[in-house]
Amino acid sequence: MIYEFEGKTEREAIEEAASQLGLETDEFDVEIMESQSGSLFKKGKVRIRVHTHGQDEGDIAVQVQAPRQEMVPAASAARETAEPGEPLVPNDEFELKMIEWVKTVVEKMGYPAKVSVLFREEKKIGLKIETDNTAMIIGKKGKNIDALQLLANVYAGRQGREDVKIILDSENYRIRREESLVRIAYESAEQVRKTGRSVLLEPMNPFERRIIHTTLNDIVDIETKSEGDGLYKQVRVMFRGRK
Amino acid sequence: MERDLVEYIVKSLVEDPDAVEIKVIEGEKSTILELKVAEGDVGKVIGKNGRIARAIRTILSASASAQSKRVILEILD
Repeated sequence: MIYEFEGKTEREAIEEAASQLGLETDEFDVEIMESQSGSLFKKGKVRIRVHTHGQDEGDIAVQVQAPRQEMVPAASAARETAEPGEPLVPNDEFELKMIEWVKTVVEKMGYPAKVSVLFREEKKIGLKIETDNTAMIIGKKGKNIDALQLLANVYAGRQGREDVKIILDSENYRIRREESLVRIAYESAEQVRKTGRSVLLEPMNPFERRIIHTTLNDIVDIETKSEGDGLYKQVRVMFRGRK
Repeated sequence: MERDLVEYIVKSLVEDPDAVEIKVIEGEKSTILELKVAEGDVGKVIGKNGRIARAIRTILSASASAQSKRVILEILD
């Protein structure tokens, strides 16, 4: 298997790889993909590719990024996550009902589907959708899976379970989206710094905007602000200057 | 089929599933679905700022059959 990791330094990236994969550093080969040393204005960045020797599960390259500390949910202690190929067994009638609902809707859309429990947290239940048409299920910028998730949550509320939030995912879209938002955040900060002009990002939902805000929160010379009305506001990234 | 899809979603969200009626009007290039629900359920299918109606329309346009033909959902009140 091949994985990719990122860190501020080569050592950090390798350590991250070891902890994420649960391996010792001498159990895998490291290939440096990209290396930028940090300067006064810029955080250093090293991208590495890790080759593991374990039993190959096909030739899939998985993109894994070092999670930023502040983005790790505090309640992760109570989290149960399905292992690849081993979904969690539905706990109760409510979970079975939700699985059935999502599966039925996706199939009535015309896409045969498998739905299973992906993770369980105190106030969240993650469901995974597997189909041959993931692109269609996710939609442009997650439009379709977000719509499906909204309706699933209304349905959950109808079952008297307003206390839990249903998260729908397919092919790790949520994590991949998070990574791409972090990337967008850094790139826009870089552009703002270079040009001195603010940048207005595309409309995003509250969860997505939070990722942009928290990503840029600890960068001293950059400021972020949400603009607009409604659910989908736009984040403006601005230059504050060095203090 | 689109009618089935909308019917299933709407019935799962309203108080009075038996009052849900869908009329299908097939046009040459588009299909119009006319949705009727119990008076007290109109708000439930539309949602705050039309969020639920918008989500149903999004799902509808992502369905396999909508790839070849436009499907329009009208909510009657």
